[in-house]
Amino acid sequence: MSGMLDDGTRLAAENGDDVEILGFLGAGGQGEVYRVRTPDGERALKWYYPTCATADQEAIVRELVTRDFADDRFLWPEAFVPEHRGSFGYLMGLRPDRYKGLPALFRRQLRTSPRALLTACLYTVEAYQALHSRGIAYRDISWGNIFFDPDTGDVLVCDNDNAVVEGDASGISGTMEFMAPELVRADPGARPGTQSDLHSLAVLLFMLLMNHHPLKGRRELGIHCLDEAAERKLYGRSPLFVFDPADDANRPDPLEHATVLATWDAAAERLRELFRRSFTTGLRDPAARVRESEWRDALRAVLDAVVECAACGRQNMTEPGENPPPRDCWGCGARLVLPPRLTVTTPPPRTEHHIRLRRAARVQAHHLLPEPARHDCSDAALVAELVEHPRKPGRFGLANRSRETWTGTRSDGTVQKIEPGQTVPLRSGLDLDLGGGVRAVVRAR
Amino acid sequence: MTLGVRRWETLADSVQGVGKRRNQDWYACQGTGSGPDPLVLAVADGHGSAVHARSALGARFAVDRFVVLAGAFGRAAHDCHEPGRLARLMTYARDDFPRALVHEWRQEALGHWDRNRPVVEEASREPGTEEKLVLYGTTLIGAVLTPWLFVAWQIGDGDLAVVEHDGTLVRPLAPAEEDLGDETESLCGREAWRAMRMHWAPLFEEARSPRLVVLSTDGLSKSFASADGYREFVSGLAGRLAQEGGAGVREALPDWLAQASRYSGDDTTLAAAVRPAPVPAGTPAAPGGPEGPVEPGAAEARTPPGPDGGEVDTERTTET
Repeated sequence: MSGMLDDGTRLAAENGDDVEILGFLGAGGQGEVYRVRTPDGERALKWYYPTCATADQEAIVRELVTRDFADDRFLWPEAFVPEHRGSFGYLMGLRPDRYKGLPALFRRQLRTSPRALLTACLYTVEAYQALHSRGIAYRDISWGNIFFDPDTGDVLVCDNDNAVVEGDASGISGTMEFMAPELVRADPGARPGTQSDLHSLAVLLFMLLMNHHPLKGRRELGIHCLDEAAERKLYGRSPLFVFDPADDANRPDPLEHATVLATWDAAAERLRELFRRSFTTGLRDPAARVRESEWRDALRAVLDAVVECAACGRQNMTEPGENPPPRDCWGCGARLVLPPRLTVTTPPPRTEHHIRLRRAARVQAHHLLPEPARHDCSDAALVAELVEHPRKPGRFGLANRSRETWTGTRSDGTVQKIEPGQTVPLRSGLDLDLGGGVRAVVRAR
Repeated sequence: MTLGVRRWETLADSVQGVGKRRNQDWYACQGTGSGPDPLVLAVADGHGSAVHARSALGARFAVDRFVVLAGAFGRAAHDCHEPGRLARLMTYARDDFPRALVHEWRQEALGHWDRNRPVVEEASREPGTEEKLVLYGTTLIGAVLTPWLFVAWQIGDGDLAVVEHDGTLVRPLAPAEEDLGDETESLCGREAWRAMRMHWAPLFEEARSPRLVVLSTDGLSKSFASADGYREFVSGLAGRLAQEGGAGVREALPDWLAQASRYSGDDTTLAAAVRPAPVPAGTPAAPGGPEGPVEPGAAEARTPPGPDGGEVDTERTTET
């Protein structure tokens, strides 16, 4: 549709920028987004529907613009664009093409991988954690706000115009599917905030990894068009996890919900346990919800334990740590053969990271820290990677991609220095001093 | 907010493909486009081959279920100016409506199968649910128009064309890449709701609502040598409707569809809604000329519409 603003329309942002509409990008639940030209280059303009252009919304946007939240994981409101023909909007950065929305993921229109999805989950958790640590409640976590790069898992949180300072009671616009049950029920005293965001975050993570809503089992099949009372029951009054261990009344339907049955089976138990807690006790007791730090640690651990199936090459989650239970490939059913494990021990407070040494396995800078503030799985933070010997196929080594010289001690006691760029042959028992008090040991299992 | 009540004029027809035993398309136009009586348009194209032996029924079930669900959705949207309501409606339209539609279509198809089991030997194996559904395989394009909303959904091939208030022609549900060959997504597919595309367009000013909405099965667009031919057909249709109103076009429509069907060899169905608008003085002649839309199969051979009809060709897809 042509939207509310014609191409060529000129508006004035409150920061003094001249804004010219170049084209319509899309329509959402609160407004439309346009590509615009400004003196600083092309930007995106969110323009509210007249029914959503309320005084409350204007106050929130103005507050967010004032906050000037500089974080590359967010497209943040940068400048308020005042009223024109009954509405207003704000300028933000344009979303680069590599970021894709979750509807495309759910429609199988994206090529991605378990590793990229786990990375996207990890980054999503950290992004919301960054907001909460600044005292901002997001309030509107949903699958319409998160965009991710299907190759790398990088995330971009968009539509940040419902984030408010913690405790602010201005009107909620959260989607019921993502709202904490106490908000759906409108319990006395219940307010959107960090605790309710934790529920929304768990739903979002479940949807990213399982491609399905955690409360939509057999019970949803009887709900008719926009039956609000039935939805309030599903999400608020008597929510029931589709994999609740104590009550199977809302189990997935084998025909209608085949995907979640498959994705749940393919998930690591470490994550399933957190989801069970989120959607059983966490539904009833906000204080029992899985905290961001718990999600972060579990997601990193499972990410480090992803291996390729030797038979078909598909990526599979396995249990982190030593001696995980045997597991079959979700794709071809072959028994997974686990590669050796690298245990990285950080300086105090000592933390162990267990990295399965699959083909092209990587040690990142965050593995060297006991409590990393932010994970970075890109080449920029690469410390070591598993490489195949160029002339001896099947022989692998750990290449030093850091700036530190490592000291390696073999199980027979021989010691060698591994300079940046050099590779040390992979052997069980190899003990590496990575510098800065970080130790890494290669173990067969 | 006060919004005018738009009245739409509709036209629709379907012709059987040459050499086909029966027409496996189905369509419906229902309602006026007012708040209590939303306008619902739908066309469906049963897949037709032997493995989809009951696809004519599948197409009919799809259209019937869509009309009921979309009508209910349109009526539920009467309060869309309430705070937060549009976001809620969009979420429903994007996430829940496709699931509800696929669920209901499956129930209807499986119910029909149960009541009309093929005569087989007693010892033969009961087909699985998916096998039964394949018999009824069909595409679907549907739209609902209220004074405040225009929402459309599509699964599989076929076309939704919209002539905007300013004459721009868009195909908001056109896939980024055309399907290759004759394989198409289908309501009988596994978790078919995932394949459904959605177009969402709230309306706030009557003057900016679309002039014409056209839904057609792929028998129409396949009859043209190129996508340009199809666009010229639609813009020609818009022009002729603007000039002559619906009556003359309605009379000519079966011939146009029959001609398209001769070129495509397929059943051909069109359902359209036009918003009557006063024609300002000095309005140029309708694109496509006085004879009507560009003839199917002849797009390359004819002179393209001149500047007077040159409001077309802006392709844009909406996020789905």
